[in-house]
Amino acid sequence: MNKNNKWDDKEIAATGTAVIILGGLILYWLLQMESTLELLELAYGSVKLFNNPLVF
Amino acid sequence: MLNSLLSRYTRTLSLVLVLLLVIVLELFEVRTSIYGNALPFFEWMRNSFWLGVLGTTYGSVYATVEAVHLLSMAVIGGTVLAADLRLLGIIFRDIPSETLTQGTHKCFRISLTVSVATGIFCAAGVADKVYYMEVFWIKMLVLISGSCFVFLFKQPLLNSRPHDEINPWALRLLAVTSLLIWFTVAATGRWIGFS
Repeated sequence: MNKNNKWDDKEIAATGTAVIILGGLILYWLLQMESTLELLELAYGSVKLFNNPLVF
Repeated sequence: MLNSLLSRYTRTLSLVLVLLLVIVLELFEVRTSIYGNALPFFEWMRNSFWLGVLGTTYGSVYATVEAVHLLSMAVIGGTVLAADLRLLGIIFRDIPSETLTQGTHKCFRISLTVSVATGIFCAAGVADKVYYMEVFWIKMLVLISGSCFVFLFKQPLLNSRPHDEINPWALRLLAVTSLLIWFTVAATGRWIGFS
């Protein structure tokens, strides 16, 4: 950010890269969480997040 | 007009070009064809390449190199936590963030080099297994994109001027992204071991 409060090249490029990578990684971990929950549901019928899923 | 735009926003335009290139390569299924043709290379690494043979023949050598790999990963984790949590203003508030990020980056560079060198050895020993693991390719993708992010975008910005002249939200975004990148590299690395 320069004195005119405008973002310069390095800031835009770094922020743009960060947004792309961060978005991709958050999506990846959310998909992993979803597939894990699906596997748990297949194995145990239902998943109770705040209880022990191994106990019906 | 165009020339001034090109000279003022070289990095940003390069990033856009790289993104477009990735999209075009995906559309033409280049990644899929490379993956299909890479199996002989991985089999050669496991069975004929001296690193693969050494790693599979002598378990103690493999264990020692893997220990160095884990130690260098631990150093990477330490430098990343120190630098990024300082950028977020959580720890080491009495130390200027410029001093901390420049100091830890030297250590980060060395430990990343060691971890990549030892990682090649570790992968060569189990090359025929990791080839089929999706998580291995995720780790490689995050490692390469994370290294490019740190060396081409994050560190040049942090070294370019005092940090109080950089937008604080940009600094926080860089720190959070860096933390998630190296967390993912470490987590997928352990995941390979349990796959």
